[in-house]
Amino acid sequence: MSMPRVGIVSTSMTQLRPAWDSAQHIDLISAVVLDVFKGTGLTLDDVDFIIDSGSDVLDGRSISNCGFLGALGAHHKEEARVEEDGLWAALYGVNKIRAGSSSVGLIVAYSKPSESRDIDLYWGSMVEPFYQRPVGFGQKAALGMQAQRYFAAHGIKDTDAAALVARRWAAAAEGGQVAIDAVPDADTVLASAEAAAPLTDLMISRPVDGAVAMLLSTEDIAVRLGRAPAIITGIGTSMETHAFSARSANQLESVAKAAAMAGAKAGWKPSEADVAEVSASSAVGELLVLEGLGLADAGKGLDAAMSDKVNRSGGALPADPLMATGLVRLAEAYRQLSQPHPGADAPRRAVVHGTGGVAMQTNCVFTLEV
Amino acid sequence: MGREVGIVGVGQTHHSRRRTDVSQAGLVREAVNRALADAKLSMDEIDTVVVATGPVLFAAVNQPEKWVVDAIGAQGKSVVRVTSGGGAGFAGALAGYYQVAGGYSERTLVVAYDKLSEGQLQYSISTLYDPFWGREFAVGIMGFSAAYWRARMDVLGHTEEAAAMVSVKNRKNSIANPYAHVKKEVTVEDVLNSKPLCWPIKLLDVPPISDGAAAIVLANDKVAHHSTTRPAWIRGIAYCCEADNAPERSLMLSEPLAIAAKRVYRAAGITNPRRQFDVVELQEPYSCFELNYYESLGLCPPGEAAELVASGATQLDGDIPVNPSGGCMGANPIGAVGVIRLIEGATQVMGRNESHQIKGAKTALVQSGGGWANLRGCAVLSA
Repeated sequence: MSMPRVGIVSTSMTQLRPAWDSAQHIDLISAVVLDVFKGTGLTLDDVDFIIDSGSDVLDGRSISNCGFLGALGAHHKEEARVEEDGLWAALYGVNKIRAGSSSVGLIVAYSKPSESRDIDLYWGSMVEPFYQRPVGFGQKAALGMQAQRYFAAHGIKDTDAAALVARRWAAAAEGGQVAIDAVPDADTVLASAEAAAPLTDLMISRPVDGAVAMLLSTEDIAVRLGRAPAIITGIGTSMETHAFSARSANQLESVAKAAAMAGAKAGWKPSEADVAEVSASSAVGELLVLEGLGLADAGKGLDAAMSDKVNRSGGALPADPLMATGLVRLAEAYRQLSQPHPGADAPRRAVVHGTGGVAMQTNCVFTLEV
Repeated sequence: MGREVGIVGVGQTHHSRRRTDVSQAGLVREAVNRALADAKLSMDEIDTVVVATGPVLFAAVNQPEKWVVDAIGAQGKSVVRVTSGGGAGFAGALAGYYQVAGGYSERTLVVAYDKLSEGQLQYSISTLYDPFWGREFAVGIMGFSAAYWRARMDVLGHTEEAAAMVSVKNRKNSIANPYAHVKKEVTVEDVLNSKPLCWPIKLLDVPPISDGAAAIVLANDKVAHHSTTRPAWIRGIAYCCEADNAPERSLMLSEPLAIAAKRVYRAAGITNPRRQFDVVELQEPYSCFELNYYESLGLCPPGEAAELVASGATQLDGDIPVNPSGGCMGANPIGAVGVIRLIEGATQVMGRNESHQIKGAKTALVQSGGGWANLRGCAVLSA
């Protein structure tokens, strides 16, 4: 049974800022929804469906998508809310187009964590309520333990993590999509406040505000629009056990499973990608993702992380718009494939990763090709 | 084109006002175990899982699928949660449908639930309203719903009795529903004399608040036969919206439901819904909404829903029985209701409904909705 392949037609993103205090959610969303059509020849009338990612908890509003339907351009269309990172919204969109009932879909993910007084509460409300919540277990504690084990097992030091973080912030500053006052060097990263030993604040991804939109279509439409379409050739996702203590030490099994699923559909391994855009909740989390994707052997993630093909955008450490981070990675990978820098070896294959949950409980992998 | 998708296994909990014996995760497990047993499958044979719940504030666990995953043994699988207020279960089924139709999976488990005894329902619903312009007068969803009914009374001359007939019909039907927990026959007089909550809405126009879960197994045409010789095939399914504060919003007809119905009927070859459907399952959050849906779904001409219910046509022995299960009046675990309605519709066309099997039912219409009365969808099922 032949199903159409699905391509990315265009993307749009706001700047990612610690606080978009002059803009409401609807301002961020409508900005990218208006912009994403520019130069495509498509209009909102061509869009068959809208799928959005956001969090009721972060928004402080039940069924918050209902408040944003106008800004999303969803009036009288089919709309769905995936309460997970935007990469899962894209997954849903791909399925809808492949099923043949739709040709063009709009995927939107947004985040405004600056409106939350304490982002730890967002994570704390995610853990199991009877045994874990009362003892204060949450994202920072989990990431700290994850890092401690990794450091102990592989002889990695906090200075190594700091060097990685400094590299990511520098890349983000160069890219211009992330608002950065001053790029921290490794010493600054080490000197920032302790988050959860051995991690300092800057070794944990920085929550930022922002929105991202993406137009997906059948391959034939993407090609006819005359731009360089990128085709989504493989998708995989997997969720680990909720019990942090029962998860495998020093590996994210769900990343490996998702990578295997995506690779099987694409016909090549994520380790063969020319560029990788990965999400991570911490510096050590990023190393675990790279190892799960097969870009490095166990314990060797740092070598891959410091290579030129990983997170050219800066990744999630300097800018983590929770619920939108993975879709930002997909947009960044699309940009790298469709608008390669002159003179550089033009990349043709990308692997993209998104994550969700405490200590990266769930993971999603896309393969993208031009 | 995509794969054909059928419902091959169903399971729901015995819903109740308050399940103190299980956690949210335990509640979900009950429904999942029943659906898997019904489909003659183990979790190993399920490719992907979709979890659906009402708003997170209903029960105060953020992204609860990440906790629930362990209770249902779905660790390692593709698990994602879809939410859409009262229509969450239906929206989850739609996401699952596309996972199978789009070739992402061969078998997908969709489980939807709400454990409303654990939260402050109307408070949570009040947070739907715009934080700057709406919360000053936000009082849950009831005042908003009363406006819909009042508009019918003013414009169409519909009466409180018309909606009361819906409540009487559904409450009577739910007595035979083994999963319902409100089983008491009432009269139109009882409804009219019940305590006014937000006029014209009165206590007996309102369904209960429930704890409950419901699960379905979806399978493609290649593997469906492993579970049943008579799947309920999804011939069309859609779920549309209208923008939040659109001032031109109609209070008479649900425009998103009419749009969804048009699309679904075209896919399913439905040209005369009143004659072609053998049975209908609707999600009626208040009695008056069932009247609105009769018209939005084309079961009667616009403005004639009061006459339709008064004629008896939507009774069990009428020509277009609506909610033989009792609908929400028997049990109302909000986020699960969309899947419950699909289960009741599916078992009708599979010939094994446990409440009131409509004899010879071949084609069923299922409706669900949520959000701010602005997300509405429907599906057509047939064996």
